[in-house]
Amino acid sequence: MKAFLIAIGNLFKRPATIQYPFAPTYKPDDYRGLIQHNPELCIWCRRCEMACPPGAIVFSQAMDGTQTYHYNRAVCIYCGECVRNCPKPGAIIQTATPASPALKDENINNSWAETVKQALESRAAYMAEKKKQAAAKQQGGENPA
Amino acid sequence: MATYYDIPVGAQHISLLEPLHFKLTTENEKIVDVEANVGYVHRGIEKACTTKFKFRQVSFVIGRICGLCSISHTTAYSQVAEKLLNLEIPLRAKYLRILALELDRIHSHMLCLSHVAENSGFEALFMRTMKDREISMELLEALCGNRVQYDYSIVGGVARDLRPEVAQMILTQLKELRSKVDDLIDIFQSNWSLSLKNKGIGAISREDAMRLNAVGPLARAAGVPVDVRNDTEDLLPWKQVGFEIVLENGGDVHARNMVRLKEILVSMKIIENVIQGLPEGPVVAETKALPEGEAVVRLEAPRGELFHYAKGNKTQFLERLKVKAPTFSNIPAFVEMFKGNEYASAPAIIASYDPCLSCTAR
Repeated sequence: MKAFLIAIGNLFKRPATIQYPFAPTYKPDDYRGLIQHNPELCIWCRRCEMACPPGAIVFSQAMDGTQTYHYNRAVCIYCGECVRNCPKPGAIIQTATPASPALKDENINNSWAETVKQALESRAAYMAEKKKQAAAKQQGGENPA
Repeated sequence: MATYYDIPVGAQHISLLEPLHFKLTTENEKIVDVEANVGYVHRGIEKACTTKFKFRQVSFVIGRICGLCSISHTTAYSQVAEKLLNLEIPLRAKYLRILALELDRIHSHMLCLSHVAENSGFEALFMRTMKDREISMELLEALCGNRVQYDYSIVGGVARDLRPEVAQMILTQLKELRSKVDDLIDIFQSNWSLSLKNKGIGAISREDAMRLNAVGPLARAAGVPVDVRNDTEDLLPWKQVGFEIVLENGGDVHARNMVRLKEILVSMKIIENVIQGLPEGPVVAETKALPEGEAVVRLEAPRGELFHYAKGNKTQFLERLKVKAPTFSNIPAFVEMFKGNEYASAPAIIASYDPCLSCTAR
């Protein structure tokens, strides 16, 4: 009987669900959102890249030694491990912005595999170049012309 | 001579939440024999943890084993890794782990209860329990920053501290939840149509539960006092935060519902004690050591005893990691529970067992 009365009463109540696209859902202030990198503060130690569990961060290196940060929001699991491992506060931070959905045009998975490959190749090329220069310098030091 | 029929249930079935396969042998409407098969969602996570991920990253991978008891797996792994590192974590981190574990237990138990109601044919109660469960989901989101994958425990402590406003929010919302749980207890206990599907159905005796090594709410509903929180005190201070074991007699679906509902109340009490008595200090202990040796950890997940084994060899990668999920331990008891019941009761029994196949098959 009591259940019946509750059921009748519920007919005149507002819906219990949130009208999501029209009304916002609950989101905490420190929601785990997109990772943001600040190249001005970064010391380029690549610790975030080493710590990242899914490998969503990779640094590429140009021939003059400057590094570029690449990040894939579709691979990231928003755990914040990069932020915890960063030795310089503020160089990499976790914002409260949720990631936008990945679109087909972005080709986010395949293009990311390509980015990682290119980044690692660029780093290997830089290292090889540096080694060659060092060897040449050493040789130059040993046998002065 | 009696005629027996084999009725397959699963791996995809309307009353199953997870890909679990049963072959029920029935005589008329009565179930006489059951075969269970649990290997449908094997993903090779254990192998991935030892080959692809460094030991500090594994705690995030292992959380992906299961969406419902993600925090139990993460915490159990973090504890086993800390044992390998000989690392003592700060007391505040231990308290915060308990907080997340108990909030997770509330939402997991409420999910199970709602599915029992649904599979017993009481859709309105399903909706209502799910609506009330939303409070605990929101609290977990406020605490961990995410609704499902919490990633809260890391090797050495917890990922983020409890903010004072979140603590206040948890206390006020729990008060609200408590009255709702009291209402739910009333419905689950005294609703007549639910009692037809739950009382005396899927019963397992205390002797059988002990003989078949049942764990978790299933064993406690049969009166067997198995709870890791009751046995161990070395890794998490359960007694300090006011844990007490919940026992029921009967071992049927109704008794399991009651154990879950009362455990929700115990969890709320623990959460309040944790927040009020939260010690000051850091939340993470740092170390540069590498895992070495072997260790095991037991932890009470919402479904029962979770067991983690790890072996390290002084490198960044573990040599072996083994997870034994509570659902797997309970399968012998579960198969026993079916026998002698009507075929129509099978969905309610399956739901009350609360299977988690992604934990079991990994």
